[in-house]
Amino acid sequence: MIETTVKIINNAGMHTRPAATIVKHAAKFQCEFFISKDGFNINGKSIIGVMTLAAEKGSEVTLTFEGPDEKEASEIILDFFNRGFDEL
Amino acid sequence: MINISEKNISTKKNITVDFFYSNLKEKINIKLLNNESGFNNLITEQNLHRPGLALAGFVDLFTFNRVQVFGNTENRYLQHLSEEKRIEVFKKIFEFDIPCIMLSDGNNPFPEMIEFANKKNVCIFGSDYSTTKLSYIISDFLDDQFAPSLSLHGSFIDVYGIGMLFVGKSGVGKSEVALDLVERGHRLVADDVVILTKKGEGILMGSGTDLVKHFMEVRGIGIIDVKSMFGVRAIRFQKRLEVIIELEIWDKDTTYTRTGLDDTVLTLQDVEIPYVKLPIVSGKNLTVIAEVIAMNYLLKHYGYDAAKVFQNNLLKRIQNKTDNVNRTINYFEHDFE
Repeated sequence: MIETTVKIINNAGMHTRPAATIVKHAAKFQCEFFISKDGFNINGKSIIGVMTLAAEKGSEVTLTFEGPDEKEASEIILDFFNRGFDEL
Repeated sequence: MINISEKNISTKKNITVDFFYSNLKEKINIKLLNNESGFNNLITEQNLHRPGLALAGFVDLFTFNRVQVFGNTENRYLQHLSEEKRIEVFKKIFEFDIPCIMLSDGNNPFPEMIEFANKKNVCIFGSDYSTTKLSYIISDFLDDQFAPSLSLHGSFIDVYGIGMLFVGKSGVGKSEVALDLVERGHRLVADDVVILTKKGEGILMGSGTDLVKHFMEVRGIGIIDVKSMFGVRAIRFQKRLEVIIELEIWDKDTTYTRTGLDDTVLTLQDVEIPYVKLPIVSGKNLTVIAEVIAMNYLLKHYGYDAAKVFQNNLLKRIQNKTDNVNRTINYFEHDFE
């Protein structure tokens, strides 16, 4: 299991478009992927779930990956977070 | 099985007096009897306290951090004191950080009390309800606010009045089953993110989140709003959780129940919930099966357990060893339809 905490750095936060991209990336992998924030631990493969977090700029979310391809999945998704969802 | 970690559980540490007041004022018709300076005080406990002993001067173990309920007893006691004595009592009481005060039975606060309360930023609320009824309603509200809530990934639907939670891996078809059930007249509570809160002993109540409400995502279509599309009959805001159904792609190594004699349960927040594991195979209509599960649950609830009835019939037949297996009826009447 890989668990890592990441900060949201783009101005608009984790809104619809980044959420869709996160889900799209996550769906390619077999491993389970969860994002948690403030007592919500949502399935990272569900777009409604990801948007429920309404993560704003500066907030921190915890990403959990578990499964055979967890390493590749975490690299790609973490990179997307660190790039500010390509909105910087 | 569902994975639940600490991260799925959230608990409120406190609520503000403002939140408390705005949620209860219409429900039980409470009025603010002094100024609003105490609106930012925090309520941190779900229990209430009647400060009778504290008023009489015994303040050891005075649970001041609870909502203080002044009933007829407290009021009568304060009435029989002289004004100077009352001021002394209030002075002592308001030394403590009281979140707020609730007067029941339509009692009015003494002018000295209002003065102290304003000075110490404590709100005084009044209600016409009796102390018992008021305490019950406030306790119920606070219990609910401070109960841990569990967020789960799944679809929650009311099927014939039975609260059914569908869980399973992403993309297995939970939302599609939900949509199909809605189309057949059942009511959606929440899709994707379901929040379960323990209410009393042995009851879990579920609802969606305020942001998502009755929106859902359907693969290949996108986001839809069930309320706008199917109307108000297709939704509800809250429902007791009664059955959990896990959907999974059929796995030849897993054994699925064939008789239904041994009930499996899943324990969530110390509440046991009947649990059914459903394999997905082609040609299987999950919607109808969900309805059958709901009806079977209802039958059991009303005292008829089909699996047990069948087992009893079989045992009777085996013990008696009288007949061989026969037709349902012994004689075909002239009914050649």
